[in-house]
Amino acid sequence: MKFNVKVWRQSGPNAKGGFKQYAVDGILPEMSLLEMLDVLNEQLTKQGEEPVAFDSDCREGICGTCGLVVDGMAHGSRLKCTTCELRMRHFVDGGTVTIEPFRAKSFPVIKDLVVDRGAFDRIMAAGGYVSVNAGSAPDANAVLVPKDIAEKAMDSAACIGCGACVAACPNASASLFVSAKITQFSLLPQGQAERERRALRMVGQMDQEGFGNCSNHAECEAACPKGISISNIATMRREYMRAARLHEERAEAGGGG
Amino acid sequence: MSKPCFLSSTIGRKVIAAISGLALVGFIVVHLAGNLTLLLPDGGAAFNAYAHKLASLGPLLWVARAGLLIFFLAHVLLAIGVRLDEKRARPDGYALKASKGGPSKQTLSSRSMLVTGLVILLFIPFHVWMFTLNKGTPHAMVEVHGTLVKDVYLAVVTAFKDPVKAWSYVAVMLLLGFHLRHGFWSAFQSLGVLRPKWTPALYTVAFVFAALMAVGFIALPVYMLYFGPNPETLRVAVAGH
Amino acid sequence: MIKVAEESILNANIPDGPIESKWKTHKANIKLVSPANKRKYTVIVVGTGLAGGAAAASLGELGYNVLNFCIQDTPRRAHSVAAQGGINAAKNYQNDGDSVWRLFYDTVKGGDFRAREANVYRLAELSTNIIDQCAAQGVPFAREYGGTLANRSFGGAQVSRTFYARGQTGQQLLLGCYSSLMRQVDAGRVKLFTRREMLDLVLVDGAARGIVCRNLVTGAVESYAADAVLLATGGYSTVFFLSTNAVNCNVTAAWRCHKKGALFANPCYTQIHPTCIPLAGESQSKLTLMSESLRNDGRVWVPKKKGDTRPASEIPEGERDYFLERIYPAFGNLVPRDIASRAAKRMCDTGYGVGGTGYSVYLDFGDAIQRLGRDVVRDRYGNLFDMYHEITGESPYEMPMRIYPAPHYTMGGLWVDYNLMSNIPGLHVLGEANFSDHGANRLGASALMQGLADGYFVIPYTLGHYLAGSDVLKNKVTTDHPAFKASVAAVNEQTKRLVGARGKRTVRDFHWQLGRIMWDHVGMARNEKGLEGAIRDIRALREEFWRDVNVGGSDGDFNKNLEFAGRVADFMEQGELMALDALHRKESCGGHFREEFQTPEGEARRDDQNFCYVGAWQWSGNASEPVLHKEDLEFDYVHLAQRSYK
Repeated sequence: MKFNVKVWRQSGPNAKGGFKQYAVDGILPEMSLLEMLDVLNEQLTKQGEEPVAFDSDCREGICGTCGLVVDGMAHGSRLKCTTCELRMRHFVDGGTVTIEPFRAKSFPVIKDLVVDRGAFDRIMAAGGYVSVNAGSAPDANAVLVPKDIAEKAMDSAACIGCGACVAACPNASASLFVSAKITQFSLLPQGQAERERRALRMVGQMDQEGFGNCSNHAECEAACPKGISISNIATMRREYMRAARLHEERAEAGGGG
Repeated sequence: MSKPCFLSSTIGRKVIAAISGLALVGFIVVHLAGNLTLLLPDGGAAFNAYAHKLASLGPLLWVARAGLLIFFLAHVLLAIGVRLDEKRARPDGYALKASKGGPSKQTLSSRSMLVTGLVILLFIPFHVWMFTLNKGTPHAMVEVHGTLVKDVYLAVVTAFKDPVKAWSYVAVMLLLGFHLRHGFWSAFQSLGVLRPKWTPALYTVAFVFAALMAVGFIALPVYMLYFGPNPETLRVAVAGH
Repeated sequence: MIKVAEESILNANIPDGPIESKWKTHKANIKLVSPANKRKYTVIVVGTGLAGGAAAASLGELGYNVLNFCIQDTPRRAHSVAAQGGINAAKNYQNDGDSVWRLFYDTVKGGDFRAREANVYRLAELSTNIIDQCAAQGVPFAREYGGTLANRSFGGAQVSRTFYARGQTGQQLLLGCYSSLMRQVDAGRVKLFTRREMLDLVLVDGAARGIVCRNLVTGAVESYAADAVLLATGGYSTVFFLSTNAVNCNVTAAWRCHKKGALFANPCYTQIHPTCIPLAGESQSKLTLMSESLRNDGRVWVPKKKGDTRPASEIPEGERDYFLERIYPAFGNLVPRDIASRAAKRMCDTGYGVGGTGYSVYLDFGDAIQRLGRDVVRDRYGNLFDMYHEITGESPYEMPMRIYPAPHYTMGGLWVDYNLMSNIPGLHVLGEANFSDHGANRLGASALMQGLADGYFVIPYTLGHYLAGSDVLKNKVTTDHPAFKASVAAVNEQTKRLVGARGKRTVRDFHWQLGRIMWDHVGMARNEKGLEGAIRDIRALREEFWRDVNVGGSDGDFNKNLEFAGRVADFMEQGELMALDALHRKESCGGHFREEFQTPEGEARRDDQNFCYVGAWQWSGNASEPVLHKEDLEFDYVHLAQRSYK
């Protein structure tokens, strides 16, 4: 197969970027889009041109490192699929493939297709955890978790933190990412002690990072390689409202937050 | 931890947009129910009675109007805020943009909320000017159940005999339908009341609801334009009364 | 030429007493750092996977001042994330006879008697605490209806001791660990340095006192000083180029420590996973593993006729060779990983392989679908079938899967004592990066267990022991120390050399060729001739690499080629050490199979008389002349016996 690859090139965070077109040939249908870029990069390196910078690691759809907007869609046109799992057989032979970085103010471009998703780490640091020091845990079976609750929590926990939800959202909102973590812990008994604090702090950090607001387009769910549902966002809103109310009450009772 | 400000958070703003939106939906439903009396073959008696009833609420009417205005302003301001947010959160847009389909609820309706909303915003002063303030439409009084009341029916009938006005109304009401198609469903999602299994059902309900509202509101000008009584004869009838 | 050290410098520091109480006694006797003093110590942790992340989080909780480095853009992407199957723990929740002792026994036996008993016992002992810790973190483990934890039997174990979270156990454990880590980041006790690659270990007065790393975004070479350095940088399967590891996995951090004096133990012990999706073409970047559970219902076969190119559906039953069932009638398709892998390789090497490359065998679910029905098969393997379909474009419901073994895990690593400290004072090594617990072969679902045990429950004690017993507080060093200057200069020198080479062959090209050599001769089956050839080839390739590599770009920028070039340069040396180790170990054991040393049935034949030791190699300044140190292994509790799966 051969393709005309139209790819975003930007030499640095503050540099002005633009599209460049390259022809690649000899692509096998079972190759992934990233392997196609590998071929292109080999070609560019041999020609003395700088290869296209992009992030990837596990190349089996679990680490969340890769993430490109392919033909206008985060991770390409396939549902429940990461860029590294996107095979070239789904493209038209001889056609043009347009590749752009994830675009959001909170995901600044580092180079070409590489972006900085550090905002996600900061949101997690704000409350995406259960405070339990190593060694202080009770026996694992001392706290029972009903099977269906564990399954639901797992649905939310499946998030790989790739940022496709932000990239796909018309408003560049991070609601799906944040809500998945809040939902996971709100379901589990282990997450109850810090439930309100977590919701307030994670949402607060999300807003501070400058992500857009959610308009319920649900494009994030379509882009999510793990199919995380927007009902997590509904849960996050419930959790936040509940937390804000309880926080007020506690503040009035003199307990603080 | 610093005191969280619910109202300034993204979630708080969504919640207010949803509550105000639903309040406006409530208003629209009542409004349509009242308007449908226009279709009764009673020469406008029921409709005029309804209009008079509203007008005679006195201060209560002003409270309702004020409430409506607040919801309306809140809704509009938040909507514009979301849009400004969008520009701020993604200053450099994509060269190519496409929806992935599947579970995505990104539609023409969801993408045009601001446009449809703004059209409705512009439409309302005209609407109020024409029917509430009764400007540019004939003035008359009519007796309903022994009371002499303002003949709003005549104003409506006269206005909609003008094809330009009637079809403008149809167009705006079509946009209202579009707005409700995403807005109605979205409000429940914003309030966090949706459970996974309800989402598809409510999404369908929203479509049916939006369609009903649009059809209901569109039916009136179309009916008046093509099947409504002639305002000249109506005026004669009124004058002869 | 192999030199054997006159006198081994290795002392494993195994505590005295019966094996059941060694760890307890040790904990009671080790030195402690007082709570007020902990914050005065700075500890560098390199790596944020299960071992590194757990260590950084736990040390932060204790109050140490932790600097945590990773090459990824966030700690949550470390390759532990990709582990699918599960994590073992001797909880005996199933009441099926499991115990710390049995897990210990199984691990020692599974490791083919090449692991250190005391370490393995401690690992089995700590396994139960790990599950408690992870459950408390909110890891959504699979549950029974009553709310208790579910278990499954894994990798042929006779008890159900594997805990799991769907097929994403590694991800969930890592996210639990990452969340604890981020809590410490928020608390200010852990400082995170992402997109940093450690390129040198800095020694002051013989002790590990810092690292030099490259900022992968700006290209800046940065120095960090500390009182101890913890290395948790994973394994080196990517020496084969194609493996199931992530493309950024590498040996560089460990290798640079090795070149600074840390001994590299048992480099030849590598694990090959039998059920991977076969190679499609030369431009492939990695191999994808599918859960071993597929072999529960799938039947492995090749055509009886050599070079048979008919599609599977046109090969009648009578012309199929179900070779695992034929050779190993008792275990059939469920023989251990190494045995299944080697059998498949033998079939392909002798011309019976299928698929375009001739390097794959069929894994057929036709019988299972007939016996159980499509729905049951879909319930059990649906997502694996989908994954296979997505990658290959072939549906396993319609035609047999094609599989081939792939490098998966490396049991070898930097030598450490019982305290997880290398022979360099202050340099501790955790997780897959060390050699300690799996011997010559790792059991399924034990990698996650080891990483977390090291990070959560071993290092918090043993590091304090080291620090309290050292004089680092009195001798604080800063990055102004000449040792840092020298390291930075050396790193810059190498970077300049790589960028300046301006040759004709790309880094990937060299890596690919090195991988071929390693796979063909230092892979699942090795022999003297092949290994000697491989050593010659690697040496020649290494020379060519430095002469003719084309890196391109600049060193002051995000430059993926440069990152890889440094890693490949290290693999060019480490690959040779693997071959030398494999050549010197004239026996077969676990993941190291020498064709000359096998039983008449084709099983690994150990030589306990001569090789019951850990082979730890010391850098001599010349990659071809390492010095061998031996740590003799004693088996006081599990008696040496030959494995048999017939």
